Amino acid sequence: MKRRIELGLLYSRTGSYSLISEACRTGVLAAIAQINADPALDLCFVAVERDPGGNVDLYGPMCADILQASTARHVVGCVTSWSRKEVIPTVEKFGGTLWYAVPYEGFEASDHVVYTHACPNQHLLPLLDWAMPAYGRRAYLTGSNYIWGWEMNRLARERITAAGGEVLGERYLPIGSRDVGRMIEEIRAARPAFILNSLIGPSSYEFLAAYRALGLQDAAFLPDRCPVLSCNMTECELPALGPAAEGLVAAGPYFRGVGGWPGVGNFGSSHEAAAFAAVRELARLLAHRPGAEDLSLSQLLAGDCRPGGIIDPETHHTVLPAIIARVEGGAFRVIERRADMPGDPYLSRGRMAPLAPMLRVVS
Amino acid sequence: MRRPIRIQNLGGARAVILHRPHPTVQALTRQLTAIGLEVTQVWPDFTAEGIGADFVFFDADMGHDGMFPWAAGQPPMPMIALIGSEAPGRIEWSLRAGAHAQLLKPVGDNGAYSALLIARDAFDAQHALSAEIADLRRRLDGRQTVVRAVTLLSARGKSEADAYAQLRQMAMAWRISFEDAAARIVASHGQDGGADGQRDQG
Repeated sequence: MKRRIELGLLYSRTGSYSLISEACRTGVLAAIAQINADPALDLCFVAVERDPGGNVDLYGPMCADILQASTARHVVGCVTSWSRKEVIPTVEKFGGTLWYAVPYEGFEASDHVVYTHACPNQHLLPLLDWAMPAYGRRAYLTGSNYIWGWEMNRLARERITAAGGEVLGERYLPIGSRDVGRMIEEIRAARPAFILNSLIGPSSYEFLAAYRALGLQDAAFLPDRCPVLSCNMTECELPALGPAAEGLVAAGPYFRGVGGWPGVGNFGSSHEAAAFAAVRELARLLAHRPGAEDLSLSQLLAGDCRPGGIIDPETHHTVLPAIIARVEGGAFRVIERRADMPGDPYLSRGRMAPLAPMLRVVS
Repeated sequence: MRRPIRIQNLGGARAVILHRPHPTVQALTRQLTAIGLEVTQVWPDFTAEGIGADFVFFDADMGHDGMFPWAAGQPPMPMIALIGSEAPGRIEWSLRAGAHAQLLKPVGDNGAYSALLIARDAFDAQHALSAEIADLRRRLDGRQTVVRAVTLLSARGKSEADAYAQLRQMAMAWRISFEDAAARIVASHGQDGGADGQRDQG
């Protein structure tokens, strides 16, 4: 007899980042279907969905609605860090848990959140450590105008200047803005060695299309000379980009067809995989523990004595590989795979070893 | 120019929480552990293991004079007050104890990280200012010595401006401060003439 457990879903199915929401949602629903069909598990999940439609002010109230109107204590959801930070006070107030399956900028370890996608020591730092020796240390930074872009670029600036490199420019666009002309002009003038792009949604699509056009005018801006790097681009947004994605280099824990994490299954993107892993882990924590569905996250983790857990009890982050891949012919091809590493949200565990400055022979 | 705040090196830092056992201590310990600090809770006495800590969180509600093994207001590490009762007397006491930042009780899921960074920055700024003030005070104290050195040099037939320039050149040649060079001139004159040239040094 399966226990019927309600599970909140809080994804915006419209709005500027709906492709990512849909990828996460696909992963959640796949995991739910698998769990519900598994006779070895004594539980089935019933989705309780709310759709904030990309409006950041609806996340808190809709999360509260899930936690009050249903028996759900766990909510899988949020794409932007802005919405996550809106939801945290709500899950704290009601003793709920947010499962967050999207890469983010770190410096957070809420007692009420599980982070199943990568933080900077798992995406940004490996990406820069790969890119600077390969292309040089002169960077241009873009970002959407909220915490993700700001904090990613702050960290990148710190890492790049510590390595003896230089940030030639840094510019932001409001979420949803397509006004990329000034960035492109600055890049044309500054001639960086690479671009770190932390724009999201339509801003990013517009930027990549304009940058591709720039490369066709001037070969110095072709991807093999001056690539665009990203920590948030996955397969789920490639359809929106078309040929503009060619040559883009991204870091993430998974790319389509790569084995290892999260163990089993073929996923369309790392967003889908991380959302799938979140729901599977929740099922593992709740299985054969009647009443566990009402526990807080800390109680749930403290009472977990079976092997196979993925959540670090101190930080609520997970161990992930860092894979660097390039878009070639419309799909990501793996360039480099680094060893699996625990999420280190405050960059305080593994020391941030400064890269030695790159020395050149001057004749 | 304001120096950048130090962010990256909290890993392995040691924090002492001076507070009776309480859910606030648990919540704070959880936050600090997640950030990467090693945490020790002590109460009621600030034991020896606390001396070498990198941060001290202390109970502002139950705190009292003589609680810390250092002179009032001169903590050797950043201090964060844990404030429950926002009574003016308690806040005043926390400030006198040397609080660099505060965290309101009950402590929940957040606040520790910003308190750590703000306290450390305030502590660093306080130290930099203290060092600068001590240096300025020392130079102020040397003012009389400079006047005497210039007088001695100009007694050998130079104008006051030339004597001043000569003293500056001597300081540069000896690679010491202007005030120290003046003290050296006065001292050497004192040895020659048996006067009280050493008195203004230091």
